[in-house]
Amino acid sequence: MAKKTAFQSRMKHEKTLNTLALIAVILASLLVMLPIWWIFRSSLMTNAQLFAWPPSFFPKDWLFSNYTKALKYFPFLQYLKNTMTIIIPSVLGGTITATMGGYAFARLRFRGKKFLFSLCVGSMLLPNMVTLIPLYIMWTKGFHLANTYWPLILPYFCGGGAFNIFLIRQFISTIPRELDEAATIDGAGYFRILTNIIVPSIKPAIIVVALLLFIQIWNDLLQQIIYINTGDKFTIAIGLSQFKGSLKQEWAYIMCATCMSFAPGIIFYLIGQKYFVEGIVLTGMKN
Amino acid sequence: MKTNKLFFALLIAVLLISVAASIVAAAEPVEITYSYWGTPDEAASVQAVADRFNAEHPEIVVKVMAIPNEEYVTKLNTMATANELPDCGIMNEAGVLDFAEKGLLADVSDMYAGADSMPLDSITFKKDGKPVAYSAANEILILYYNTDMFDAAGLPYPSATEPMTWDEFVATAKKLTLDKNGKNADDPEFDAENIVQYGAVVDNWTWQLEVWALSNGGSWFNADGTEVTINSPEAIESIQKVADLYLVDKVMPYNAGLEDNGIQRSIVSGTVAMATGGTWNVGTSLPGSVKYSVAPLPVMKKEVTICTGGPQVIFSQSKHQAEAMEFIKWYTKEENSWDNLIATGIWMPILEKYYTDEALTKKWIDNPNFPKYEDYKAAVVDYAMNYAVSTSWYYTPHTNEFIEYLRSILGPVWDGTQTAEEAINGGYDYLSSILAGE
Amino acid sequence: MEIDVRKKKADHRLLDGERKTAYLCLIPSCIGLIFLTYVPLITVLILSFFNWKGVGTLQWVGLTNYVRLFTKDPYFIDAIKVTVYFSVLAVFGSILYSFAIALLLNQKIPARGFFRAIFYLPYVLPAMAVYLGWSWLYESNWGLFNYILSFLGIGKVKFIGSPTWVVPSLALIAVWLSGNLIVIFLAGLQNVPRVYHEAAEMDGASGWQRFRYITIPCMTPIIFYNLLMSLITNMQVVTPALALTQGGPGNSSRFISYVMYTYAFKDAKLSYACAISFIFFLIIAVFTIILFVTSGRWVFYQGGND
Repeated sequence: MAKKTAFQSRMKHEKTLNTLALIAVILASLLVMLPIWWIFRSSLMTNAQLFAWPPSFFPKDWLFSNYTKALKYFPFLQYLKNTMTIIIPSVLGGTITATMGGYAFARLRFRGKKFLFSLCVGSMLLPNMVTLIPLYIMWTKGFHLANTYWPLILPYFCGGGAFNIFLIRQFISTIPRELDEAATIDGAGYFRILTNIIVPSIKPAIIVVALLLFIQIWNDLLQQIIYINTGDKFTIAIGLSQFKGSLKQEWAYIMCATCMSFAPGIIFYLIGQKYFVEGIVLTGMKN
Repeated sequence: MKTNKLFFALLIAVLLISVAASIVAAAEPVEITYSYWGTPDEAASVQAVADRFNAEHPEIVVKVMAIPNEEYVTKLNTMATANELPDCGIMNEAGVLDFAEKGLLADVSDMYAGADSMPLDSITFKKDGKPVAYSAANEILILYYNTDMFDAAGLPYPSATEPMTWDEFVATAKKLTLDKNGKNADDPEFDAENIVQYGAVVDNWTWQLEVWALSNGGSWFNADGTEVTINSPEAIESIQKVADLYLVDKVMPYNAGLEDNGIQRSIVSGTVAMATGGTWNVGTSLPGSVKYSVAPLPVMKKEVTICTGGPQVIFSQSKHQAEAMEFIKWYTKEENSWDNLIATGIWMPILEKYYTDEALTKKWIDNPNFPKYEDYKAAVVDYAMNYAVSTSWYYTPHTNEFIEYLRSILGPVWDGTQTAEEAINGGYDYLSSILAGE
Repeated sequence: MEIDVRKKKADHRLLDGERKTAYLCLIPSCIGLIFLTYVPLITVLILSFFNWKGVGTLQWVGLTNYVRLFTKDPYFIDAIKVTVYFSVLAVFGSILYSFAIALLLNQKIPARGFFRAIFYLPYVLPAMAVYLGWSWLYESNWGLFNYILSFLGIGKVKFIGSPTWVVPSLALIAVWLSGNLIVIFLAGLQNVPRVYHEAAEMDGASGWQRFRYITIPCMTPIIFYNLLMSLITNMQVVTPALALTQGGPGNSSRFISYVMYTYAFKDAKLSYACAISFIFFLIIAVFTIILFVTSGRWVFYQGGND
């Protein structure tokens, strides 16, 4: 009897705890969403409403026409196209070469493996910022590639960053070796093992690498500013950073541009959400 | 013997091919790049002008390269390092003398050779006394005001002929600063925490502050630009007076001195009654925003304003300097930039005659792009002629670094953490060492 | 005998194939490691002993650049302080925030996937747009945060316009952006073996005790991982300075990367900026080493291969 009450009270206790947690989560998510809402509602206002005190949480007339006007100063589609011209090849190149590198480190025996791997891990702790200037000199003075996308794309075809190689390697090491040994006996070459056995079974890790690369490039304002000179080649990030100056501080339009730039990320995320979360959960565990 | 013959045959073949190639190349028009600061749509209008030149000159094709204003110096530095500067372009004032020092600018001394009138001396960049570049436009700093706000407060408009004294300016600004209860800054119950309309903005975009030192009887540099004099009591006091508009008088919204165009934050946003700014705003920021007019800057001790304007230059890395020169000469003729830049109010002409000959002045400003004719004529045209002096970057080197450092030490002045005196005295030695190029 | 030789040959061939595949697979990464990482690092060091402004010839100046950095440069020392200050706030802020949210999400609540998506969302937004959007929230006269503060009876705060508040304000944005840490923490929490909790409960351990003595120790490897990643990212912060503050007000948000950027690209003092790069490299290395060395004391690895 006493045991039962204890159990019941514990259940009750747990229930209240869960309710409290739910309330806290709802409050926190409202807080997290608030900035996005505020930016969105600002994009639909007139100057007079924006500079009103006290401000209101909802726009008065929902001026979606602001977006058409903002597009005049902020050629979003052009910028999006430019950004994608960088992102798509870079993400592809990065994922493929990182997978290849990770595979070699995880599975293959060869001379100099330890040395190469420690070079690789060591470079993880070397921030990109440090090598910015010599690379800049190399790309512009050496290869004359200023104002092209090459300096932004080509590095991703060189391993896609040590961190990603490492991530893939860790993930591959969790796959039972028996699988590829069986394939070897069947006469499959190492490359076939990679494409037919390894790649399908590390899909979550590959997706995470692709996502991480996507976000990294998406946010790499500094390198884009350094290498891209002219307006016709602007990415979304540069476009936005210049926009504030060129758009006469029309905050409604600036907020329109901000919202537009949010869109691709949100769409990309909604489509891939399941894989990303799954992938991050799995890779998070493997490190 | 045999190898020798073969060698000569080859040599001749190579020569023939290269001659043929150069003939073919000569028939092709020379393509030159002209760089311009601005947004892509501004660049399109500049390209439209360049296309007219291209039509008149079949042997040259000019392509416009648009680089955003804020990144202009950075980009030109980048391109200089890569040895890929455009052939010619407009140049950021603050970088002209540094580029000249590095030998990146081609000689433009014969740009106006044989011309009937020269550009104003105040907008000629000089290194060691010799001209290295001529501004393509003239711009001065003036006071803009929102006429509706003056009407609502029942105040007379600032005079276009008689500049306000600084104290009058502050007093007027107080009457125009309103809290959410409609009380102005003179009212004892004024609520400074809930201001809905500010009386004034004096732009603290760093380079523009120089005018206040001059207005207060001081200066930032000595006359030949070899010594920093920003630590003179007059120069220091002038900066403090600007900061006090926010700190003491409560008539100016806070601005941390992050570089941007204050007209956009103030007059254009419809929250400020009076603001100082450059004349280019007449054509760039103000059209379609609020009802406004113009007046000369308020005066601390001396009637003065500063003038500036980006110069058109030819870069020495160019392989087509002659063609570039031809384009720049053509482009700087007023009739060729008239419709896009002068008649719209973005550029003021550089030749003296537009300021002295009223018929030409009329031709220039008597159109709906400009505020009231009498106001603009007195506060801008005449004032530019009589009271404008060169901004210091026409004769001092390392301006970018100087301004950047000055901006950083003035940061604590704007929010009152430090006085102007503390800030300037603390940074004076380093400012001097920047000028000296150490 | 015959068979043996053949087997050996086959083995040899196999090994050859293995080696060939390995080197083929590693060609891109090796090019990256050599030409985009280690050679540039050495170049940074070499260039930092010269005086070079992008055009013209190099002049050997020895340690002059370094001496100047520490004795005369008006930005550098402040920049180190500001960067470290920002990193500490951003790193600990994000870790605490995301750990707390992950704990909440780990309770039995409905629509967990939906909430997880909401907290993760900021991470996929372009940083530049985020900073721009937040600058409007922080606006000192008309912004949202001052409106909220006005309810609490607090006067207007200048946030990114104020030397005191600019770094905490920017760090708050970094915290908001740290949605990916939540997902990693959450995954970790769900991996804490249930048996431990059940056993402790049998022994009458309170919720807090279980949290303190089971959850936290099991989570230390993940905390360490997040700490390391977050540190390396935040030390390199530059976007807010580029996009919003230009290092201001004063020097209060002039991060090391930003100082390096302005010297290298605005003033074209490339070799001087290289000296900054190299010191920056050392600073990050020191922090990383400290983190690794101290990790032995508090990171608890569950035995075996997990």
